[in-house]
Amino acid sequence: MPLIEIKNLEKIYHNDDIATSAIEDISLSINKGEFVAIMGPSGSGKSTLLHILGLLDKPTKGQYFLDDKEISNYSENELAKMRNNKLGFIFQSFNLLSRTTVFNNVKLPLLYSNIKQSLWSNLVLDAIESVGLSHRINHEPSQLSGGEKQRVAIARALVTKPNIIFADEPTGNLDSKSGKTIMEIIQKLNEKEGHTIILVTHETYTAQHAQRIINLLDGKIESDKLVDRRHKAEDHFKK
Amino acid sequence: MTFNHTFTTALVALRTNKIRSILTVLGIVIGITSIILIMSIGKGAENLIIGQISGMGAEAIVIRPGKEPSGPSDFADSLFSDSLKNKDIVALNKKSNVPYLVDIVPSVIISSSVSYQGETYRPSIFGWSAKFMSEVFDIYPEEGVLFDDIDIRQKASVVVIGAKVKEELFSGSDAIGKNIKIKGKNFRVVGVFPKRGQVAFFNVDEVVLLPYTSAQTYLLGIDYYHEIIVKAENVQAVDQTVKDIERTIRESHNIADSSKNDFYIQTQKGLVDQIGTIMGVLTAFLSMVVAISLIVGGIGVMNIMLVSVTERTKEIGLRKAIGATNKDIMNQFLLESVLLTVVGGIIGIIFGVVLSLGASIIMTKVLNTSWTFSFPVPAVLMGLGVAAFVGLVFGIYPARQASKKSPMEALRYE
Repeated sequence: MPLIEIKNLEKIYHNDDIATSAIEDISLSINKGEFVAIMGPSGSGKSTLLHILGLLDKPTKGQYFLDDKEISNYSENELAKMRNNKLGFIFQSFNLLSRTTVFNNVKLPLLYSNIKQSLWSNLVLDAIESVGLSHRINHEPSQLSGGEKQRVAIARALVTKPNIIFADEPTGNLDSKSGKTIMEIIQKLNEKEGHTIILVTHETYTAQHAQRIINLLDGKIESDKLVDRRHKAEDHFKK
Repeated sequence: MTFNHTFTTALVALRTNKIRSILTVLGIVIGITSIILIMSIGKGAENLIIGQISGMGAEAIVIRPGKEPSGPSDFADSLFSDSLKNKDIVALNKKSNVPYLVDIVPSVIISSSVSYQGETYRPSIFGWSAKFMSEVFDIYPEEGVLFDDIDIRQKASVVVIGAKVKEELFSGSDAIGKNIKIKGKNFRVVGVFPKRGQVAFFNVDEVVLLPYTSAQTYLLGIDYYHEIIVKAENVQAVDQTVKDIERTIRESHNIADSSKNDFYIQTQKGLVDQIGTIMGVLTAFLSMVVAISLIVGGIGVMNIMLVSVTERTKEIGLRKAIGATNKDIMNQFLLESVLLTVVGGIIGIIFGVVLSLGASIIMTKVLNTSWTFSFPVPAVLMGLGVAAFVGLVFGIYPARQASKKSPMEALRYE
């Protein structure tokens, strides 16, 4: 049974009475534990697809089954709750709160969760450790490098132990070395921890860390293939 | 999200923009400071005035011409009303009319300056009975004598002056027997009061007293009085005496309907009530001015909160993406604006209390009045409540704007 299944999904934006179709009639399914990359040139609809899959946006038409539940009719509050305990997000621009310590940034999703407060501290410390930033717990984002910031963001996505992690151009603002580290961490989350990963990128090299690449063009799936020669991460975190 | 965390989040957000937060609440600070000042100083002034009136003796009853004033502007009317004349005094003096009357004195007020050999001064000039004043205020001349009833009957050109008047006109040299000029007429100084300062309504030191008959004839050219003061036998007889006076004057003026009275009677109790009313009107008026400043302050808060919502679009998007509901966001921004105004309110309360304490110190130590400072508890509670209310009212719109942002739009915002 697939973790995510969408059928005939469509998204149309209305701007000043002009309807622009961002995605047209997309159907696909993603299984638990998969690492999928969504690729395509800008304007191909890959971000829109990610937003819909990540429950940040609603489709105009079509069905979306998440964990076997049709979520099209869910209220905003129900969607917020699902995002909180089922999904994790990593963004291109990190989106950390400034003047807030690494610890508190990672803790943020817990504030909105139903998880008992007594468990918070351990969850946060575990998440920070899994991205190798235990020595930076009390630093603020302004004291961190770009790569480190993105690792904090990954820890934040992990802290509620979500089923699916969405990564929107996670290496887009990083130099190649930091980008590599981030991809290694993401790959490790998929392989060692069993997280389902959905990655949006326009870089072929980054996409090739995934098991499967879905190519979009003009709002439609152009190709959906398994990756022959994956980039494998060295295990940086075996200490 | 629990209240605790919402609170911490709001506090962190305000601390992040310290200067801006402080400048934003300045309007609230000033507004709340004003509330505390007005309420505290208003109360102090009321206590002071009432305390002084009570010093005049509770048996005193004052009859004034005209309609009873219901506001500060009506006071002027009674000065130009000519309904109280000598025949009223004659009628009131009859034992059968007003049995408990022990003393009766009319008075006129003269607005003029006095001069002596080129020195001029502007005192409070009263045409009165010096004996009556001495008894009421318990003050007797330290030099010379009081003019008496014979002087009043003969319209003698004599005055008794206060210590300050003597100092201003004679600067230390002897005043008794000298002639001072009021409106070009000569009056001989027969007595000087000792230095006493503020007693009841006026400063005894700045007073010039002359027989009311002389004042009417030589200075004003009128045959009516500005007021008549009656002393009742004792406090218990005041109410009955008031009734007797009203009946007597109505008979004398041929007035059947009490609503057409061309005079009104005030006892100390009535005066205390009246001052309470006037202070109330004044406080209400000033409060309206303060309310305007609070509205302006509130708009400032709303403005900055809207800026803050726009600036933090990305943060809002992130919070929503990781699970914040609309209500969470709404509460966060609402609490932020309430916190902002409440902190402003607390600062305002501190300023207000310190300033009114300072004012009371100046009033007692420098101006030598019996001003009392009491910590304005109702004003403080009201100040806090008003501050929180302003934050709530002016925070709702920005908070709603924040909560309505879609998580995706918010994340895309650059």
